[in-house]
Amino acid sequence: MSTSPNAKELTEQTALPAPRRSETVVMGRADFLSIILRLIGVELYKFRRRAMSKVITAIALPILILTFLVLTAFSFIYIYTPVESYLPPKCTETAIKEKQPCLDHLPTQDDLAHAAQSKSEAIQQGSTLLRLPASLAVVSQLLQSVGLIFSVIIAGTITGGEYGVGTIRLMFTRGPTRTQFLLSKVGAMLAAIGLSVVLWVITGILLGTVLNLFVGIALNFTFLTGTWIVHTILYLVALVLDLFIYAMLALCLSTLGRSSAAGVAGALLWWILEGIIGPLFVYTGTVIKGVWGDILKAVPDYFIGVNTTTLLQNQDQYVVGGQPSFLSDLHAVLVLAVYLVVFIGLACWVNQQRDIT
Amino acid sequence: MDSILLTAAHKKELVVKDDIPSQSDGTMVINTNRLTKAFGHLIAVNDLHLQVMRGDVFGFLGPNGSGKTTTIRMLLGLIRPTAGRAILFGMDNAYQLPAILQRIGAIVEMPVFYSYLSGLDNLRVVAAASGMMSGPSNNRRLEEVLDIVELRAYEKLPFRKYSLGMKQRLGIAAALLTDPELVLLDEPTNGLDPAGMIEIRHLITRLSSLGKTIFLSSHILYEVQQVCNRVAILQKGNLIKQGTVAELLRDSEAIEVRMNREDESHYALHILQQAQVRGMDWVKQIQLSTNRRNQLILVISAPSHRSAEVNAFLAHNKLFAAEIHPREGSLEELFLEVTTSASQEGRAGLQALANVANEATEQAHNAKREAL
Repeated sequence: MSTSPNAKELTEQTALPAPRRSETVVMGRADFLSIILRLIGVELYKFRRRAMSKVITAIALPILILTFLVLTAFSFIYIYTPVESYLPPKCTETAIKEKQPCLDHLPTQDDLAHAAQSKSEAIQQGSTLLRLPASLAVVSQLLQSVGLIFSVIIAGTITGGEYGVGTIRLMFTRGPTRTQFLLSKVGAMLAAIGLSVVLWVITGILLGTVLNLFVGIALNFTFLTGTWIVHTILYLVALVLDLFIYAMLALCLSTLGRSSAAGVAGALLWWILEGIIGPLFVYTGTVIKGVWGDILKAVPDYFIGVNTTTLLQNQDQYVVGGQPSFLSDLHAVLVLAVYLVVFIGLACWVNQQRDIT
Repeated sequence: MDSILLTAAHKKELVVKDDIPSQSDGTMVINTNRLTKAFGHLIAVNDLHLQVMRGDVFGFLGPNGSGKTTTIRMLLGLIRPTAGRAILFGMDNAYQLPAILQRIGAIVEMPVFYSYLSGLDNLRVVAAASGMMSGPSNNRRLEEVLDIVELRAYEKLPFRKYSLGMKQRLGIAAALLTDPELVLLDEPTNGLDPAGMIEIRHLITRLSSLGKTIFLSSHILYEVQQVCNRVAILQKGNLIKQGTVAELLRDSEAIEVRMNREDESHYALHILQQAQVRGMDWVKQIQLSTNRRNQLILVISAPSHRSAEVNAFLAHNKLFAAEIHPREGSLEELFLEVTTSASQEGRAGLQALANVANEATEQAHNAKREAL
């Protein structure tokens, strides 16, 4: 092994000593992680101060409130429906022939009590989405649609905007490496998405619980076990991952395209296209049959959306009681990890190689 | 280290000196070796050897498109050189860019900041990105730099509402934030009014007196001549002059002589050219020209203190000048002289290439004809 110093070592040896800075300049820690953490702080500060963040919050909050109000309104439809509506229909020849439950006499006290019981069950059923654990699924659905769009918009603009406005020159000449700069954006997006998911979930659950008071159904916390809490945490992690991975696609595309539009439009387009071309692959595979048919049918299993849904669905069965996915968690995690590595790696590489003119 | 806070009292003390003393200690802060950048077939910077010493106020001159900004971008690592190296503070910027950037404050072209943040908040962002502690620990420093550029009164105003001059001043404040050793200023007076330009000139002088190295790229040659001790002139990516301002201006000194009659001017030219050959070697060049009043004059490229000797020589030859006076060299004249001659040389080179090509084509045709 050669012992001669390389060019980097040589320049390290010949570096001029730096004079002391002014006493009023207080420098922070200069290790790799501290720089990234400081830059994440900068990104979150900028994010908080942007008008766009305020606009997004101003849109997101009413959407959440409106959704729960609509669900409450449905419950009130059941409440204001008269008890008589829950009585079996009057008997007809067809109903008797088909042995359907029907009323061939004037409703008795028993019939009315039975109808009142049915009404109560209908209200209970209709207002389930206002209470835990189902209210969690409502917030989750909102996050997977509206939240995803917002995440993509933010991720695209925080990266593409730097190129568009030209502040990239300012940031690239201040000392941190380009990799640190990009990783700080990734970290800031993860922190922002994580925080938003937690805030949305808490707000949604509280909102549902408060509105449920007007419906008048007692809360039931029998589902609240240690296992449920663990799976709920995993469910929220999967939810964060779902938003984060599309945000990283937007970040990657906005870096490649040097503009917010490229990132936002590209990521949203892919999100929509996945839902369209997935079934097309399956249909074509079914028609073609054979090895090529099987390959085509398997292609959607490697789409982002299918795998994030897998992770959510596999936790959803414990949280709300849905059906598990036909794909395993391991498959989904591996596929999504590859996507993350490709998106972040590609953005880092392009960022590193590019001339900032 | 002395603070670079420029108070009103300081400003009164500041005077633009005719003779700029160099603070240089002989240590090289910037040293480029065959630095080259090509964008496809276009060579923006060609084989650049640039040396900036510690304490220099270095003027980087060149017409639009000469490669000044490309060079600055290469020094700052924004673009990669196609060939060559840039050594700053003894470190190669291809390997140790973060360590180098920690010691530099720079404005590249028009400063751009976050439009939705105030001037002060933008500086907070830049401070944190520059490795300074977040939070109130650097508040004093932020106030200092805002004082230097006189933006304290507008610190809460959003950047989008800043005038061009205010933006430029905020850029300078950002460049000075970490109290850097080297300040790279690319056209710092763009958009400034005359008073603002004088302020910046004073600031550069003050920074220089505190031992900072200033690398100033500017179109305003008078400004450069006022503050810089060394300059480099770039033309179409090539370095055509580099040295101290005094040295370069000495080269462009001349003596202007006006005779009473045109025939006397021609005769004076003749005898001076002969004298130049016979031993008046301090005369570099003699040419006929016209002055502002469209009168024929002799322009003798020679040190201005030789005026009396020129006069005596002409009188000895029975030629009596109507006017004789030294013409002090200015950077503007030097700049025009060297950039024009470089362009002419370039054109001549192109013409020569075209001639060679034509000759080669003709020879090929002849050879073909002979073969037939």
